[in-house]
Amino acid sequence: MRKNALAGWLLLAPALALLGGLVLFPIIYNAWLSLHDKHAFLTVQTFVGLRHYVYFAHDEEFWNSFYYGVVYAGSTMALQLVLGIPAALLLNEAFRGRNLLRGVVLFPYVIPTIVAVMLWKWLLNDSYGLVNHLLVTAGVVRVPLAWLGKDYIMWSLVLTSVWQFFPFVVVTYLARLQTIPPELYEAATVDGATAWRRFMHVTLPQTRNVLFVIVLLRSIWMFTKFDTVWLMAGEGGVSRYIRTLPVYAYARSFTYLQAGMGAALAVIMFVLLLVATAVYFRVFRQEEALA
Amino acid sequence: MKRPTSGHPRHVSRRRFLAGSVAATAGAAVLSRAPAALGQQVRELQVWHTEVEPQTVKTIQDTSIAEFERKFPGFKVKQQALGWGDLNTKLLASLAAGNPPDLTHLNPFVTASLHTKGLLRPMDELIRALGESDIHEATLKLQFFDGKYYGVTHAIGATYFAERRDLREKAGLKAPETYDDMLKLAAALTEGGRHALQMPGEKLYMGFVHPAEWLASNGGAWVDAKTWRPQLNGRAMLETLEYLQKLNRFMPGGWSGQKYLDTLAALATGKIAMAHLSGARTIGYIERYAPDTMRDPDHFQPMFRPRGPSGQKGISALDGENWGVFTQSKYPNEAFEFLRLFYKKEHYLQYCHSVPIHLTPIFKSMIGDPEYLANPRIKKWRSWHDFMVTGLKGARFLPIGFSRPEDNLLPFLAELDGSGIVADMIVEVMVGGKPPKAEADRAQKRAEELLAQLGFKRWA
Repeated sequence: MRKNALAGWLLLAPALALLGGLVLFPIIYNAWLSLHDKHAFLTVQTFVGLRHYVYFAHDEEFWNSFYYGVVYAGSTMALQLVLGIPAALLLNEAFRGRNLLRGVVLFPYVIPTIVAVMLWKWLLNDSYGLVNHLLVTAGVVRVPLAWLGKDYIMWSLVLTSVWQFFPFVVVTYLARLQTIPPELYEAATVDGATAWRRFMHVTLPQTRNVLFVIVLLRSIWMFTKFDTVWLMAGEGGVSRYIRTLPVYAYARSFTYLQAGMGAALAVIMFVLLLVATAVYFRVFRQEEALA
Repeated sequence: MKRPTSGHPRHVSRRRFLAGSVAATAGAAVLSRAPAALGQQVRELQVWHTEVEPQTVKTIQDTSIAEFERKFPGFKVKQQALGWGDLNTKLLASLAAGNPPDLTHLNPFVTASLHTKGLLRPMDELIRALGESDIHEATLKLQFFDGKYYGVTHAIGATYFAERRDLREKAGLKAPETYDDMLKLAAALTEGGRHALQMPGEKLYMGFVHPAEWLASNGGAWVDAKTWRPQLNGRAMLETLEYLQKLNRFMPGGWSGQKYLDTLAALATGKIAMAHLSGARTIGYIERYAPDTMRDPDHFQPMFRPRGPSGQKGISALDGENWGVFTQSKYPNEAFEFLRLFYKKEHYLQYCHSVPIHLTPIFKSMIGDPEYLANPRIKKWRSWHDFMVTGLKGARFLPIGFSRPEDNLLPFLAELDGSGIVADMIVEVMVGGKPPKAEADRAQKRAEELLAQLGFKRWA
């Protein structure tokens, strides 16, 4: 028995070593780094304890970034659901050209982020962008709108992100829709349920779990999203108005050159997401128990 | 002929297997080292620079690199042309990994920071070999620390306004000398859907390069010379912020989301009358995008920066990165040899001609050299060249990011630039319309915190 256990551990060892090396070690090292003052390209570091955390508690930039992060993650997640669920419902119906449309819907999700962002920045540019050209030509606006300026940059970012990531919601939700037994719909139809009531009383309860996963994953991914946000305005002056926490953490590490402070921000984000996830799980379980 | 087979699988003993494996491994190792054993190992000299124009890259390849590789047969030179932002990021990563290039361009405001951290090698011997007295004073001592040279400028450019001279003259106005003149000119040139001017939206420019120029043009400085206490809410900056808030009315609404090159295109195509950040590279845009009949210096001219109410003269940034050799460079001696070849007159002349005027020679003897001036673009755009010479003579240029010459000794300008503190202040005041004093105070507080965190606080 003991020999079997040893063999089991030996077999597990490579996987554990990999997990430890690739997942646990970076997390622990990052937490350790966050307790130090460290210049990004010098090896010297000084232990400062929780000083960085105390600093960020009073740092206006941190709270601005947190606010922008919540606005960005919240609005993009909500809009991805609003757009993705109806699209999935539509693509679950039988009609001519459905397979082609399913492929087309996936397109934004499979192109590289840099391409998606460049495409939207080009479309929204206030000097030569197509969107402004159409708006001005149609007489909707008199002068081109500065989509990439202070007032609209957040919404341009949200638009780009929703366009790029809503296919994930479509694909995931569609996969679950295809496994709902058709008999349930047939029974509901026989009982005289309208399309809306079928959606509310058959589709939604059946897709609760997948919705839970979608909301959880998309919230985490959007809150920690770096590339889209950075590419939208990372080097520009307007980046101030979309500087989410991951971007601020990057800036602290690689432009302020304060690696310890950047690490502290990463730890804060990790804890925030952990707490949010725990609360979300709890609420979902309570609702499930009530249901 | 067929080999006889036994009909049984062949067994290899463990000893034989191990011996075979060891032999195979050793063989592979020897083979991989074969060129070294034969004295043919190719070593790579890594050279990074910021001149991304294809013709410049080709010129370096065909001149300095070709001769270097002929002289040092065991070496291959690998050049990488990178934009400013990319260079800094890549350099940072390479330094953090302990594997920087052998030779690289550096921004002067980064050089002091690297020198303070002991990362650069002195190059006095090279400077003497190049002709210390012939190197223009505007660049010679930018990387002179503790009695030694730690860098040499590759070529001289400058950041100034490019204006539609014809429009200004039509409005009956002279080139502006003060902030007030500039506001009057901007008001006169804003008409019929055309904006007077546009600033680049990149943080590096509007949040660092230009603020340094504004401070220098208005009698201010980044920090107090003795205590290094930031001066972001001092009079020089406050007056500038008020000026900028007014100037913002004459710029396109989305300027803070646009890039430097967008502003050059906007100037060439008539959407704006002045590009705030220009250099001789603008000529290329004019020759490509301006209407055929306007591609000349009668329509497009460089223009000096105006001075603020507390300043003596308008100051522009001298756009000239310096070469630097790291203490961690693998082949420092070869890097210096490469530089000797780079500055060899026949090579250097071709290099400077690859983007004429933008790459003005650092050697005083060459700036007025007929051979240099014979270039067709310099001939056509001679007034732009003369403008550079006037600026150099009149001390109208300070290195990028410097608010005064002594800023080359400040070891934290790279971090101040990277923090975006100044950029945030400028954007909030210009685009956000926030009160200058409140934003300046906020920036001051953040800058003081930053310098304290970095260990550069000298004030009480």
